[in-house]
Amino acid sequence: MKNLFITSVIIISSLFLSCETDVTSDITLNESTPRLVINGGLERNTITPLTAQRIQLMTTASFLSTEELPSISDASVVVTSNTDSWTFTHTSNGIYENSEIIPEIGNTYTITINWNGETYEGSDSISEVPSFDDFYFEFEEETIATDAGYFVKFDTTDPIDIVNFYYYRLFKNNEFIIVPDPGNSEVLIVSDEFFDGRQRIGVNPNDEVPFEIGDIATAQQLSISEDYFDFLNELFIQTGNLGNPIIGNPPPASIRGNLINLSNPNNRALGYFYAVDIEEDTITIIEN
Amino acid sequence: MTKKFVYLLFLYALGTFGQEKLTISGYIKDISSGEKLLGVNIIIDNSIGTTTNDYGFYSINIEKGSHQIEISYLGYKTILKEIQITNNQKIDFDLTEELAQLDEIIISSNNTRKKIESTEMSVISLQGETIKKMPAILGEPDVLKSLQLLPGVSSVNEASSGFNVRGGSVDQNLILLDEATIYNASHLFGFFSVFNSDAIKNAKLYKGGIPATYGGRLSSVLDIKQKEGNTKKFGGNIGIGLISAKALIEGPILKGDKEEASGSYMLAGRRSYIDLFSFLLEDFKDSSLFFYDFNLKANYDLNKNNRLFLSGYFGRDTFELDGLLGTTWGNSSGTLRWTSVINEKLFLQTSAIFSNYEYNLDNLRTGSEFRWKSSITNYNLKPKLSWYINNNNTLKTGIDMTYYQFKPGKISSLNGSSINEEEFSDKFGLENGIYVDLKQKLSDKLSVQYGLRWSNFFRLGSQEINQYETGSPLTYNAEQDIYEENEVIGTTQYGSGENIKSFNGLEPRVSARYLLNDSNSLKLSYNRMYQYLHLISNTTSPTPLDVWSPSGTYIKPQYADQLALGYFKSFNEGKYDLSLETYYKKLNDVTDFIDGADLIFTEEIETQIAQGDGRAYGLEVQLNKNEGRLTGWLSYTLAKSETKVLGINNNEYYPSNSDQLHELNLVGFYKLNKRWDFGANFVFGSGRPVTYPTGRYEQNGLVVADYNNRNGNRLPAYHRLDISATLNPKKGKNGKWVFSLVNVYNRQNAASIYFNEVGEVGDQEIATGMTQATKLSFFGIVPSISYEFKF
Repeated sequence: MKNLFITSVIIISSLFLSCETDVTSDITLNESTPRLVINGGLERNTITPLTAQRIQLMTTASFLSTEELPSISDASVVVTSNTDSWTFTHTSNGIYENSEIIPEIGNTYTITINWNGETYEGSDSISEVPSFDDFYFEFEEETIATDAGYFVKFDTTDPIDIVNFYYYRLFKNNEFIIVPDPGNSEVLIVSDEFFDGRQRIGVNPNDEVPFEIGDIATAQQLSISEDYFDFLNELFIQTGNLGNPIIGNPPPASIRGNLINLSNPNNRALGYFYAVDIEEDTITIIEN
Repeated sequence: MTKKFVYLLFLYALGTFGQEKLTISGYIKDISSGEKLLGVNIIIDNSIGTTTNDYGFYSINIEKGSHQIEISYLGYKTILKEIQITNNQKIDFDLTEELAQLDEIIISSNNTRKKIESTEMSVISLQGETIKKMPAILGEPDVLKSLQLLPGVSSVNEASSGFNVRGGSVDQNLILLDEATIYNASHLFGFFSVFNSDAIKNAKLYKGGIPATYGGRLSSVLDIKQKEGNTKKFGGNIGIGLISAKALIEGPILKGDKEEASGSYMLAGRRSYIDLFSFLLEDFKDSSLFFYDFNLKANYDLNKNNRLFLSGYFGRDTFELDGLLGTTWGNSSGTLRWTSVINEKLFLQTSAIFSNYEYNLDNLRTGSEFRWKSSITNYNLKPKLSWYINNNNTLKTGIDMTYYQFKPGKISSLNGSSINEEEFSDKFGLENGIYVDLKQKLSDKLSVQYGLRWSNFFRLGSQEINQYETGSPLTYNAEQDIYEENEVIGTTQYGSGENIKSFNGLEPRVSARYLLNDSNSLKLSYNRMYQYLHLISNTTSPTPLDVWSPSGTYIKPQYADQLALGYFKSFNEGKYDLSLETYYKKLNDVTDFIDGADLIFTEEIETQIAQGDGRAYGLEVQLNKNEGRLTGWLSYTLAKSETKVLGINNNEYYPSNSDQLHELNLVGFYKLNKRWDFGANFVFGSGRPVTYPTGRYEQNGLVVADYNNRNGNRLPAYHRLDISATLNPKKGKNGKWVFSLVNVYNRQNAASIYFNEVGEVGDQEIATGMTQATKLSFFGIVPSISYEFKF
């Protein structure tokens, strides 16, 4: 909500007196030593089950450089839950795969990564996601914050007396779409704090993404852990930050993920190893 | 040793009291408006002297017989008069403004003699009239922007609500409007302040050497007084500028059929109207953005010795984007004060004050509409007694009692949306300060003002307080350099009015002046301040949605010590004066956010903040030219301000957001002739701290920045030149034009530089994986014109 406020103020301030200049080429940044980054996690999807679970490992690069992020191909990656364990093997571009693991509700999964002589570890648990009660699309006129177009909507009922956190993903013609927008922390993730046990009607999973006639739209509702919600909240606030000092912006700080470096705690890893349950539906936008 | 010394000083004060002398006392007023004048110099036989207090009251002891009395006040004709004193006497004086006769501008009522001789240091005093002469953004004169042209006062950027004093944070300023606390001094996100310059009589900022009569904030006290109104005749003025229109009326309050007024009133109002132009932009035709405020002041003489004052403020900002968001915020305050001259030596004032700040935030998006409401209210009672013991000793003593009610947040459904209502529990507090302040002339050369304030704070019920597993809400994990939230293991229920947690602190305050000769003095001051309220904001500059939070079970009060040393000199018979001050300030238990803190909708803020230490030190130099066609000042500040909080910046000191190494201000006024006045100011400041990313990675399809050191980089230097011209009315006419040009050479000063992922290809919004750095600046060159009409 605060971010929505900030967005609005930015709109207003751009209305009068403020001016933006691209200074990319004038800035020299201090560099730091590359860190390990995890991008990925376990996804339980009963609608379109995955053939394999994928986790990507990379290292950081300079912020303004245009080089590809360096991928890590020589790490050992193992996921465990209770007494079971699965080894992930590197395929390409830092992606590690395992096709035997079947994520289950209620389980806690721990990843152990060995790389460069150091061991990293992190865990997350899966909780059940409620299904869509209805899934449809609607045409909406242009507003101050959104473009005109067809928007995917759904109705869904939050289970009562259970603390839930949701994350929404949207796919256009089977391609995942996300915009670095200040509204993400309000729209893409939500906690049931204020609607526990209620049905919500007409939830728009991403109001930055309009569809056209003929597009195939897929939306996912993910049940995520509270820790992952906090991580995404920080991530979306920071990536949506338009640096407007009228309202200020949070002092930038490294976003903490859930991986701990057991060998050398100071050499932190970045990113989050998540475990989620997914509800999903697909619709083709047609003239109605 | 110290105790004995204080005791001796006290004895000295009482000892001198023994000599039998007569007292003359009274009020000093402006002859045309009847407004009481504060800070007027009264000198007897060219040797003993005093000044009027905040209510224009003076009291001085002299021996029986004939004396020469000299009454001087900058901008007014000096009165020189022989008086015969045979018994205790009440004598009022009326001063005539001399501004009209002179081809020059008076910039400050603090005349040079007072600057050298007063025990006060680190004090800035600005008259409403001076503020109105400075070039102003969009032609809207503003006291807070004017203060920033003086050494030691700055803000993070032009659009920041709030100001920083000597490296302190914005919540460490006590802002008083006729004694009522103003919790948020900004209109329009900080572009303007809530103070209507028409309604202001004067503003005084204490940067250091804060007397014991004030307390509650660490870094400064800004004491703003509203105009009292004309006691002689009805009048007013109307002003029209680019951003707002305003009107003020004032006049006498007559009692029965008496000729002489028993009081006066002033009523002012202002409303911005940029929103009236929003129809020009298709996107904004259904949105609104405006502010308005009202100022009221009235005073009434109950009898010769007793007066009542009523003063009030009400202001609101409204900002609404159709179908998206609506918000309203603002302050309201009211002060009822009774002043009583008990006898020639005793002056009693008692104020009852109400003050409130609140905001509403409406989410207007269909399906999830709700209203969020938050407020802080206080009720304040302040009796204060001034005892003019004799010409060498003045004693002030009093009590400040403040009861606070915090309503951190209430969510309610709007338009029947499916939102569960929720209310965070109210918080209550009681803050008291008991003080004694003695101003003492020890010898011809040495004067001291010293005092002690004992403050305490009670966090009161009813409230339910969480108990945490280890006794504290957060535990710092040094190995991973991260704060871990502890589990809530239970709650303690406190009943209404029950003491949850209490604090108290002794706040010694001392300042001393040593006269080297008539035109040179040295001053020294020390003050300790306690602050029991914290402004919780996780942004570099505060927003209207920030929450004030009281100390309690898990948040400690902040406290600070400041030591300042100054040298003051006047030359060319007071035409010029120079001041040189240096200070060191140590701040303890200041609040900052732990990395990744999230505040909105967070009830347990103790789980989001950490407390640490700060230090600030610097040197301030100011050269004033006080007389002639050209007046003004040149000031330079060299300063440093740092903070250290466990868990931030690898536990090392880092520059505070307000840290600025160099600051240079040049302010000039030029009176060409009776009709044309010119003003100009030039500002230079070295770059403010900023945090640039040290790395890049990807997560969920987005490019993410990684950071290492807090505030480890600097923005480019800031500089700007503003000019203004005032066309005063011809004799017998009443209209005045003010033209101004802000940022004459159109410099695009960086308000911030930010880093993000390019989020667009053509006109389609999408994550691109490309990164960029963008400079944001406010204000290129801004011309403006305003018109003021007096009647």
